[in-house]
Amino acid sequence: WKKEEFRNCNQTPFCKRARSRKPQHCNLIATDVTINDGDLVAKLITPNRFEQNPDQNSTDFQPNPLILSLSVYQDGILRFKIDEDPVYNPPKKRFQVPDVVVSEFESKKLWLQRYTKGVIDGESFFVYLFDGYEAVVRSDPFEVFVREQSSGKRVVSFNTHGLFDFEQLRVKKEGDEWEERFRTHTDSRPFGPQSISFDVSFYGADFVYGIPEHATSLVLKPTKGPGVEESEPYRLFNLDVFEYLHESPFGLYGSIPFMLSHGKSHGTSGFFWLNAAEMQIDVLGTGWDAESSIVLPSDQKRIDTLWMSEAGIVDAFFFIGPKPKDVVKQYASVTGTSAMPQLFATGYHQCRWNYRDEEDVKNVDSKFDEHDIPYDVLWLDIEHTDGKRYFTWDRALFPHPEEMQKDLFSRGRRMVTIVDPHIKRDDNYHIHKEASKNGYYVKDASGKDFDGWCWPGSSSYIDMVNPEIRSWWADKFAYSEYVGSTPSLYIWNDMNEPSVFNGPEVTMPRDALHYGKVEHRELHNAYGYYFHMATSEGLLKREGGKDRPFVLSRAFFPGTQRYGTVWTGDNIAEWEHLRVSVPMILTLGLTGITFSGADVGGFFGNPDTELLVRWYQVAAYLPFFRGHAHHDTKRREPWLFGERNTELMRDAIRVRYTYLPYFYTLFREANVTGVPVARPLWMEFPYVEATFNNDEAFMVGTGLLVQGVYAQRARDATVYLPSDHTWYDLRSGTAYKGGKTQKVEVTDADIPVFQRSGTIIPRKDRFRRSTVQMENDPYTLVIAVDGSGSAEGELYIDDGKSYEFKEGAYIHRRFIFSNGMLTSVNLAPSTSKFESDCTIERIILLGHTTKSKTARIEPSNQVTDIELGPLQIRSGVRSSVLTIRKPNVRVSDDWNIKLL
Amino acid sequence: ENILGVAPKDEEYYKVLSSSGTIKCRDGSNSFTKAQLNDDFCDCTDGTDEPGTSACPSGKFYCRNAGHSPLSVFSSRVNDGICDCCDGSDEYDGKVKCTNTCWEAGKVARDRLRKKIATFREGLTIRKHEVEKAKLSAAKDEEELSRLKNEENILKGLVHQLKDRKEQIEKAEEKERIEKENEEKKKKEAEEAKLKEQKSEENVVEQESAGSKSDDEAGAHDHSPSDEEYYKVLSSSGTIKCRDGSNSFTKAQINDDFCDCTDGTDEPGTSACPFGKFYCRNSGHSPLSVFSSRVNDGICDCCDGSDEYEGKVKCTNTCWEAGKDLNKAHTDTEATVTHNDDERDASIDNIEEEHAEENDGPSKVAHEHDPKESSNAAHEHDHSHAPGSKEEDASEDADSLSREELGRVIGERWTGKKTEEQHEDAGTARHNDNGDDDNDDDNEYDDTSDNGHDEEYGGYDTETEEDHHKYEDDDHMNDVGDDHSSDSHKYESDDEIDMSDMESTSNPSWLEKIQQTVRKFLDAVNPFQTPVDTSESENVRKEYDDASGKLSKIQSRISSLTKKLGHDFGPEKEFYSLYGQCFEIKENKYVYKVCPFKEATQEEGHSRTRLGQWDKFDESHRVMVFSNGDKCWNGPQRSLTVRLRCGSKVELADIDEPSRCEYSALLTTPSLCQEGRLKELEDKLEAVNKDQPQGHDEL
Repeated sequence: WKKEEFRNCNQTPFCKRARSRKPQHCNLIATDVTINDGDLVAKLITPNRFEQNPDQNSTDFQPNPLILSLSVYQDGILRFKIDEDPVYNPPKKRFQVPDVVVSEFESKKLWLQRYTKGVIDGESFFVYLFDGYEAVVRSDPFEVFVREQSSGKRVVSFNTHGLFDFEQLRVKKEGDEWEERFRTHTDSRPFGPQSISFDVSFYGADFVYGIPEHATSLVLKPTKGPGVEESEPYRLFNLDVFEYLHESPFGLYGSIPFMLSHGKSHGTSGFFWLNAAEMQIDVLGTGWDAESSIVLPSDQKRIDTLWMSEAGIVDAFFFIGPKPKDVVKQYASVTGTSAMPQLFATGYHQCRWNYRDEEDVKNVDSKFDEHDIPYDVLWLDIEHTDGKRYFTWDRALFPHPEEMQKDLFSRGRRMVTIVDPHIKRDDNYHIHKEASKNGYYVKDASGKDFDGWCWPGSSSYIDMVNPEIRSWWADKFAYSEYVGSTPSLYIWNDMNEPSVFNGPEVTMPRDALHYGKVEHRELHNAYGYYFHMATSEGLLKREGGKDRPFVLSRAFFPGTQRYGTVWTGDNIAEWEHLRVSVPMILTLGLTGITFSGADVGGFFGNPDTELLVRWYQVAAYLPFFRGHAHHDTKRREPWLFGERNTELMRDAIRVRYTYLPYFYTLFREANVTGVPVARPLWMEFPYVEATFNNDEAFMVGTGLLVQGVYAQRARDATVYLPSDHTWYDLRSGTAYKGGKTQKVEVTDADIPVFQRSGTIIPRKDRFRRSTVQMENDPYTLVIAVDGSGSAEGELYIDDGKSYEFKEGAYIHRRFIFSNGMLTSVNLAPSTSKFESDCTIERIILLGHTTKSKTARIEPSNQVTDIELGPLQIRSGVRSSVLTIRKPNVRVSDDWNIKLL
Repeated sequence: ENILGVAPKDEEYYKVLSSSGTIKCRDGSNSFTKAQLNDDFCDCTDGTDEPGTSACPSGKFYCRNAGHSPLSVFSSRVNDGICDCCDGSDEYDGKVKCTNTCWEAGKVARDRLRKKIATFREGLTIRKHEVEKAKLSAAKDEEELSRLKNEENILKGLVHQLKDRKEQIEKAEEKERIEKENEEKKKKEAEEAKLKEQKSEENVVEQESAGSKSDDEAGAHDHSPSDEEYYKVLSSSGTIKCRDGSNSFTKAQINDDFCDCTDGTDEPGTSACPFGKFYCRNSGHSPLSVFSSRVNDGICDCCDGSDEYEGKVKCTNTCWEAGKDLNKAHTDTEATVTHNDDERDASIDNIEEEHAEENDGPSKVAHEHDPKESSNAAHEHDHSHAPGSKEEDASEDADSLSREELGRVIGERWTGKKTEEQHEDAGTARHNDNGDDDNDDDNEYDDTSDNGHDEEYGGYDTETEEDHHKYEDDDHMNDVGDDHSSDSHKYESDDEIDMSDMESTSNPSWLEKIQQTVRKFLDAVNPFQTPVDTSESENVRKEYDDASGKLSKIQSRISSLTKKLGHDFGPEKEFYSLYGQCFEIKENKYVYKVCPFKEATQEEGHSRTRLGQWDKFDESHRVMVFSNGDKCWNGPQRSLTVRLRCGSKVELADIDEPSRCEYSALLTTPSLCQEGRLKELEDKLEAVNKDQPQGHDEL
């Protein structure tokens, strides 16, 4: 990591200024409060009585009033915008990020009819927000907050400490020095300072989370305040960071300005600022405001934060929770839920920079079969192209790309190729020809096509902010355009921060210009998002909207979840990077992007064998599961480390495949609700304080608790098992009492994974080459009964690839076990056209004591045996758990099975 | 009847079922009934009960594949929609229809098998031949080595004798010359000489203090150890005679930078006397006597730099490096030294130029070796003082050896007894021996170092290459045989050539001839007789040069043979013939060259990357490992593993770089065509043929 290549807060004027402000800096008051088009609207003015610069010409420093508009949405969402008032003719319209808030969101708006006026520390205006909650705008000093109606307890507030500052656009005057320099680069800043900053406070909060992407703990540590070691703020600025550090607030490839707070007293709340400019966020440690005279309710544990952005407007959202899942659902209703992935994408992906040629591809593919290791996708990195011209093939290495893809697909496997946003400036390259002719490139400050360096050398960058250009780009994925592509080929977007090797901080200059005269500084963090979006649209288009796209992106922004998958970028083959990958992925899940993963094994460097095996074992339970490595590393495909290690990695990958029905059901849940697949423990156990800062373990859905192993030669693991549930160790079936920390034995064979009592988890225990061959395989249900002898779980099945599920073509069952009877209940519409002949071949009962030797199946009235069987079918394992043998009921049918 | 998915050899296991009703899983995890066999539910964790379904993850499904050969596939392949068995038996649930391709595929496979067997048979014959040949070659090499060692010992003695004799003769000649001169001088300037003597005595007094100082500084170095005795008298007697009797001098006059003795006796450490010699100790190398004209002349003549003590130039001590290359007996005269120094400078310039213009036009290819060769030459000349200077080293030891004693010594050398001790006291010979030892080490070291390394040291190249260069120049020495120079073409030259060369060396006539000659000289020439017979002395000199040249060649051959015989050539020495050979394959723009027991390279035009140096055999001689190649930029050192496969010819069949800088290649060789493996293949073919449906016999 090259520290000096990147700006810190002190080298960033807006950040330095904002950070040095004292509380009560803001002197605005809200006036002219009205209701307009269902919104509460007000003017924020600087009253004359605050004449802060008496010895200067007051007209120069008398800012124009700002406009505040505040809207309320269903399910506890408050949105408010603060912008310049167009009546004063600002030099330029400030940028508002389009295409992020989903269109359905507007339909959830509650049209405000009125407000009530009252007095809380001065004149205040109240509007209804949600059952039991109200939003309050205080006039003087200006403040916005949400509180519980009955108790008056605050939930979340804005400008409580008066740190709000809004630099209005001005016309440059003589003597104004607007340029900014960093290293060899000069930012012309033609519009001068335009930053915005403010404070946000969370109440009843023990911890705050979110605002990816940083390689840090799940809990966001304070960056400023008494007793806090001087730290950079959390930075949100999409950058191609080479060999990033594993414990740093430094901004990485993607940015989501969404923070969650969680605490025992209130529960969960959230704050989201829709803004695509560089952002810096301070988490202020308790007591940071000791010198200010602001008096806040002291009985409510509070976390204050400072938000600073270089440009844009205030477009802010309060999510009231109060449960963790409420907040992620509220956020998802604004930015969308994650796309339903194709089934294949939830399997194992094999990548390397680079699989060199067709023979190499064939070889790697056949080695998976030779070792009976399932995988679904083989990836090709940049070297497969003709001189880094995307959409082309190096024909010497890949003379027959279609045949290669077809051959892979004959065994059910897909291929992914890379397509990056930098376009080689080569007049013989069709993409470049069209893009330059049509003016589709981002322009530099002087209006010429921006020319920067990336893999192909001199390159220009497609301006994806323009919908017309996105549509043109999407057409490039047609089979006729992307010569050598077939329907089993999917796409990977890398370097879309965008990475510019010779640019400031390895990215595009901030004064570069996009469609609509938008400066790059205003939308930098969303550039990769638009590129990802356009690529995803391309895959959708090429199959007439029938095939779900799969596009992996490195850069991301709120809304990315609708377009595809992300990974945590170029990590390192070190234990610390395995360790930090878990909070990174959990944080992405909390902030909407559930389909994410880290490069298994670490991108840079050579993992030792134990680390590689452990990485497989942990990553098998995380949503996106891909092995990847830098081209300078040694080959590390699972069969290269001796028989024992091959077996261990095969087992890890197979475990993933056995749980695919469960994962797929969870992806569907995420698709419907926004609740992530991999969850921090506190999301499932919001009242168990011991879980709040635990990021070593995580939940897969509600049923599985996975404890990672992050140290060499670990012989045991300390696992906190929450709540009063019983937890079944899925290696042995051993039951553990919840509510305490358990020390469990660890071998090289696997990591500790527990099924929570009261859950039913569907598996497919047969092994196949890929997900395609698993389609007709029968299911195993694992029932872990709770203290009252009952349990439940769900299973979602569809065709795994099309959008017919949107028309109800799916199977969705709820399995309920109680009083010795398992019932399958239909949750799908009765009109569902989707059929499956799959049956249930085995039902495993954990924690159920019975003497019964048989079970009766209704409505067929058959009787089947109950005997002891293995919990996992591994050679030599003695049978030890109750197993209902071959009930052979169809998953699509209603039935019940009664233990006799 | 057949049980689905069970191999014939396993049918026995399941037979019990029909009688007993239940059967144990092989792994003992459970037991199952006949009804549970292939009932699509896994009862045995090892899959014993489900040989024909996909129910157990670790099971195997057996396809009979009539017409082809049987196959066991993973249970994960059963009814997965993909036809894995050529008879389609793995897809029986009707979801896909598999056509039976066994007959066609079987035919192809049998043809391939037959071909393979043919290759194995052919290869095996060659292999047997190779093994026989290798045994003979190895024995020959061993024999040659021990013979060469004996010859080396004899030759060492002879060289020693010749050198002593040569030096005696030269001394006598010198004496004769000086006496002549002196007589003339005396006649001419008898009276002036007396005046001069008085004057010089005054000078001595004047310069006494300065003289004693220089004595402290240079005295230990400026006369050779054997001469030190001569000067010892000074400390007691106060004055001493010049060796030529021309004068006498006091202690203060030693090295006072004024010539008192015409033969230079009083000025061993300065340039004052034209006929003097300066002795450099040259620790790490061998001592050297240089002409007094070289002292403080601004040129570093002694490798320890002791000849330049004035401080005008700074000489770096190169004795240690140079010492490694010692024993390059050479006949060049001292007069060429300066000239050759220039040549070396020029060659270093060449190398730098080479660096700057890397990957330049093809004209550079030939050029590339130039600097090395010219620098070799320079390098050799550099050290050619060593033998040349020995004319001043009057070793008394050799004189004292009587004819009988010499005979005894030679006899002992023949029998290989007590040779070391015999040589211990012979000063110059000992130095040569040390040089030899250094040389052997050096040989190994340099052979494994890379080009860059060579270039770093400018003209100092590997010994083998230097020898090679020498052989080409020297017509007389063909009889010593070729060496394995680092030049790839030479390296490719087969051992066979060596062998034939060795045949001629094995003829001891040349050695006997030398021995006879030496005896003749020792008998005939009286070193103390003046005037010296000039033709005889010429002969002695020539004979000495010849003999020492031969000695160095023998020593280099010994070292390369020792190195060769130290290698692992496989249990039957089946890889013996690969020694000294290189195999090439062209892949895109690169030419890959694999030289077993030596190195592997990748060449593009004239740029050469070393993929690895010979490391070892691996996987019971099925893989060759080359490691520690050139370092990759920002990466590891390159390495290459060469997988060996049976073939009738030795051929590099494939090369690949699966991970960056880790190469893998395939080499076919008869050495891998083993009998046991052939038998397996034949059995397999027989089994497949036996399993053919009737009426389909292709044979």
